[in-house]
Amino acid sequence: MAMAALRREGRRFAPLISPRPITAVRSSPIVPTHEDEGPIGVRYISTQVVRNRMKSVKNIQKITKAMKMVAASKLRAVQTKAENSRGLWQPFTALLGDLPSVDVKKNVVVTISSDKGLCGGINSTSVKISKGIYKLNSGPEKETKYVILGEKAKAQLVRDSKKDIELIITELQKNPLSYTQVSVLADEILKNVEYDALRIVFNKFHSVVSFVPTVSTVLSPEIVERESESGGKLGELDSYEVEGGETKGEILQNLAEFQFSCVMFNAVLENACSEQGARMSAMDSSSRNAGDMLDRLTLTYNRTRQASITTELIEIISGASALEG
Amino acid sequence: MTLNLCVLTPNRIVWDSEVKEIILSTNSGQIGVLPNHASIATAVDIGILRIRLNNQWLTMALMGSFARIGNNEITILVNDAEKGSDIDPQEAQQALEIAEANLRKAEGKRQTIEENLALRRARTRVEAINAIL
Repeated sequence: MAMAALRREGRRFAPLISPRPITAVRSSPIVPTHEDEGPIGVRYISTQVVRNRMKSVKNIQKITKAMKMVAASKLRAVQTKAENSRGLWQPFTALLGDLPSVDVKKNVVVTISSDKGLCGGINSTSVKISKGIYKLNSGPEKETKYVILGEKAKAQLVRDSKKDIELIITELQKNPLSYTQVSVLADEILKNVEYDALRIVFNKFHSVVSFVPTVSTVLSPEIVERESESGGKLGELDSYEVEGGETKGEILQNLAEFQFSCVMFNAVLENACSEQGARMSAMDSSSRNAGDMLDRLTLTYNRTRQASITTELIEIISGASALEG
Repeated sequence: MTLNLCVLTPNRIVWDSEVKEIILSTNSGQIGVLPNHASIATAVDIGILRIRLNNQWLTMALMGSFARIGNNEITILVNDAEKGSDIDPQEAQQALEIAEANLRKAEGKRQTIEENLALRRARTRVEAINAIL
């Protein structure tokens, strides 16, 4: 009975009690600060629970740090390629112009995205822009179709625009990206899809922390003819005498196809760079969050440990003083 | 007066500097370009590009491309390009022989066309080396 009185006194002084076995913890182990009501009505936190949580957070931190370094090394590899390919499409733009405001009947939106996740918000922004272009270009007599590269955009666009998708291509990055691979892809797209204007949506890589969603427009040869005759930016095209091949139209068609595959190549490389950069920064922030969480858990753990020591001391001392007097 | 020549492939910039004159082969024959040439846009066939700098000719093997000439600026966009000095003569000769053998063995229209292209490419590379001499 005296012990029961002591225990009741202990309840007043010590809100936390020494560790109890895991099986008695009814709350889920991932919430360390949850206070459970034991059978005798005392509140406690188990140090065991906190220790387990600390171990798993530490593992997560290690994994995210490793992923960040892997992304950094992959980024270095792709970045040189992307920079080399940038010079390729500039002459085309200088000659044919990049006119996003061209009014055409058949638009095809080529959305480039990544296959793997954990790369921040770049895929969502690409999909948002693609949908925006779709809305902009819908109206009487106009139609817009999607060509999707990459799993992530496929997952998002299949949900609500399934009937507008022409072609889906995934697992681009299984083999290292090369121009021949992309030109074959471009060929496939050109063969299977009718288009007046192709709008390629991708994330341009400006720096490791900045990826800007961009749209590149490639026009079909007939539209180029139409626009060059009406003057404006493409009016200069007429001043060029076209040689080689039988007709101007044939050259223009070759030119348009070549332009498309060059622009695609550059877009795919830039998107790959942006993906690695975004993954680096996402993993970096999650390592940092894990570190913060670890600090907080360590504090909780120490508090728990000290409280249990205090309780034990109180029990011993009260027991001893009860025996004396 | 010099021309600014830029030869680009999808993987890298092969040539970027000033030259005096160039000769490229197009679908409809070879054309020579001197400073102040008229503006043209042309398709370039699989063949040799000759570049003249200070009375010295350099050759480059081009594998199908597109050229744009205007205002003394020449931009050539190629699928693949190799400087004549970078090509190993023995290897190019071997590639030519292999391509010829493949052409003889080719069956079906598609293979014949592919082997034809490979043969022309190999021949261009061999010619690029020989033309320097």
